[in-house]
Amino acid sequence: MEKTDIPPLSIVGCGAWSPWFENWDAFVAQVSADELEEHGLKAPAASVIPGTERRRAPLPVKLAIEASMQACAAASMDPTQLPSVFVSGLGDTQLTDYMCRTLASENKALSPTRFHNSVHNAAAGYWTISVGCMRSSNSLAGYEVSMSMALLEAAVQANSEQSPILITFYDAPVAPVLQPLLHNRHAFALALVVAPATAADAADDSKTLGTLRLSSGVGQSAWPELGLPAPLKECYETNPAARSLLLAELLIHKNKDKPVTVPLSNGTSMALEIS
Amino acid sequence: MDIRIITYESTSAAGINVRQLRRAIDTQQSGLSRNDLPGSSIDTWIGKVRGLEEIDLGPWQSRNNALADLAYRQGELEAIVESLKTQVGSHRVGVVMGSSTSSIDRTEQAYTELDDGSLAEKYRQAQVHNPDGPALFVAERAGITGPAVTINTACSSSAKAFATAARWLTTGIVDAVLAGGVDTLCLSVLHGFHSLQLVSSNPCKPLDRNRDGINLGEAAGYAVLVDAERNPQLVDRLRDGCSAASISLRGYGESSDAHHMSHPHPDGAGARNAMLGALTTAELNADKIGYVNLHGTSSRANDLIESKQVADLFPKARASSTKAWMGHTLGAAGITEAIICIDAMHRDLVPGTLNLDELDDGLELNTSSENTEMPLKYALTNSFGFGGNNCSLLFEKHQL
Repeated sequence: MEKTDIPPLSIVGCGAWSPWFENWDAFVAQVSADELEEHGLKAPAASVIPGTERRRAPLPVKLAIEASMQACAAASMDPTQLPSVFVSGLGDTQLTDYMCRTLASENKALSPTRFHNSVHNAAAGYWTISVGCMRSSNSLAGYEVSMSMALLEAAVQANSEQSPILITFYDAPVAPVLQPLLHNRHAFALALVVAPATAADAADDSKTLGTLRLSSGVGQSAWPELGLPAPLKECYETNPAARSLLLAELLIHKNKDKPVTVPLSNGTSMALEIS
Repeated sequence: MDIRIITYESTSAAGINVRQLRRAIDTQQSGLSRNDLPGSSIDTWIGKVRGLEEIDLGPWQSRNNALADLAYRQGELEAIVESLKTQVGSHRVGVVMGSSTSSIDRTEQAYTELDDGSLAEKYRQAQVHNPDGPALFVAERAGITGPAVTINTACSSSAKAFATAARWLTTGIVDAVLAGGVDTLCLSVLHGFHSLQLVSSNPCKPLDRNRDGINLGEAAGYAVLVDAERNPQLVDRLRDGCSAASISLRGYGESSDAHHMSHPHPDGAGARNAMLGALTTAELNADKIGYVNLHGTSSRANDLIESKQVADLFPKARASSTKAWMGHTLGAAGITEAIICIDAMHRDLVPGTLNLDELDDGLELNTSSENTEMPLKYALTNSFGFGGNNCSLLFEKHQL
């Protein structure tokens, strides 16, 4: 099969948040459980956002920031040094709903704060502002292939620029009017810090959680089924960001020499291997 | 880096295609008109594209997709893409679109016709009411099956599309990229920018002492990109022995302000970093730049801050803002102004800063409202977006 290999990347830190786990360690502990318990929090702390802004930060922003903070801390990396790629498959539908309702009514005056929070790159903006990072940040949308597209984009950028990079996948519950179309009912975020794997890194095993090998090539594929507890399985299947649960699974169990193929576009697929 | 621009097209209030855009530039004819958007009473000027209401895309219907479709039909764009698909395979062509509205125009409309609180049948369009709408539509429309993504970083979106395309091409995951952008006028943007008090009730006057805000516009544009270092024969075949000068993307810079969601960094540090980043990746000295197309929105803050950095980094370059021709086209500003830059290099003609009467105090820029004929070899274009997201692109002309 005609394919293009991306040079390997070391995964050096992970962060995660969902209704069932507040961080990566909690996720790892629960992922093999038969039943999951909700922790009851409506939103993560995202404590790096300054107090005044944090109160008004929308849920998708908090999800992205929380996971990103955790990943950088786990990687022991200074967030100001990391370029970043953020991806949300569905965007902030609660804000879309607010804006469209307001504009369909007599009084079309929009809240300026809610307007500037409605840009798709609000998470990337809040992140760089909160941590003081002046490196490049990107904000993508790939609908159902958001996870694979963002992973590819970040991997290509990390390799091109020979730099570690933060990748954050996040999607929030869809507003009722758009629910029949876009389905997702769950909040979810996962973030990784990855770096080009070099001989030096390979020698220092303690830093690396796993080595990620990606290749893209012609052909179509379907998302693999994951053996997850029921609510997480639904999340995986309907929350575009939660397709990253596959990465989490591979990171925990490893699939050396047994690459898994995921959809990338209408005519291409991506093979993933974590060793 | 030598990412060749094989062909490009632009649709905006200044013209339905590049040929009309050139005429608008040559005659200094602005495409701005008084705001007449249905449902909006905001007193402002807009850059509106005519004829979009007549385009019927069935399940893909939205104003955004209609504009993307209209632009795709211009010039030789579609013919070149078809030729590419034949030569390398549709899976070896990528799509990178920049947009900030992503068809929210359609969602707005749907909410005015809710059926008992639910979306009416004709609005149940999952592929339209999501932020990846632009790339999804363009991939479908162009029959491209390679990697496709929408970048949504507000006003820097379709400039960043070039950076992403460049990396995909140099890495070899695709052999060509259809890079572009699209954004349309809708109530969200009009009322949103109005709520931030950024909109002027007059035709915009970038860089002018009396500027008092921006005008919003809509536009779509595309550039077909191929890596000339990796694929020189493909470049030659596509250009078919054309003897005109060839333009390539030679460098790009991306940065963040880390300051505020809707105000730029007061010292222009992020903007400066993006411009320096473009010079670094291009391996070029600043004094080589002949022309800088400014982001130049006509906001009090942006023009002052950006101009200080441009005057400091490029004291000898000619500079201009071209937003008075078609307005600030948001997510499509990057592609629209990259094309203006590229076309300026083809014609050795720098567009002036249209609507400029009196350059603001303290803006020590080499600019005027007049167009200037001058040989161009290297040019730079800036796009700075909400959230402090910055991108600068550096283009080079090769004489053949």
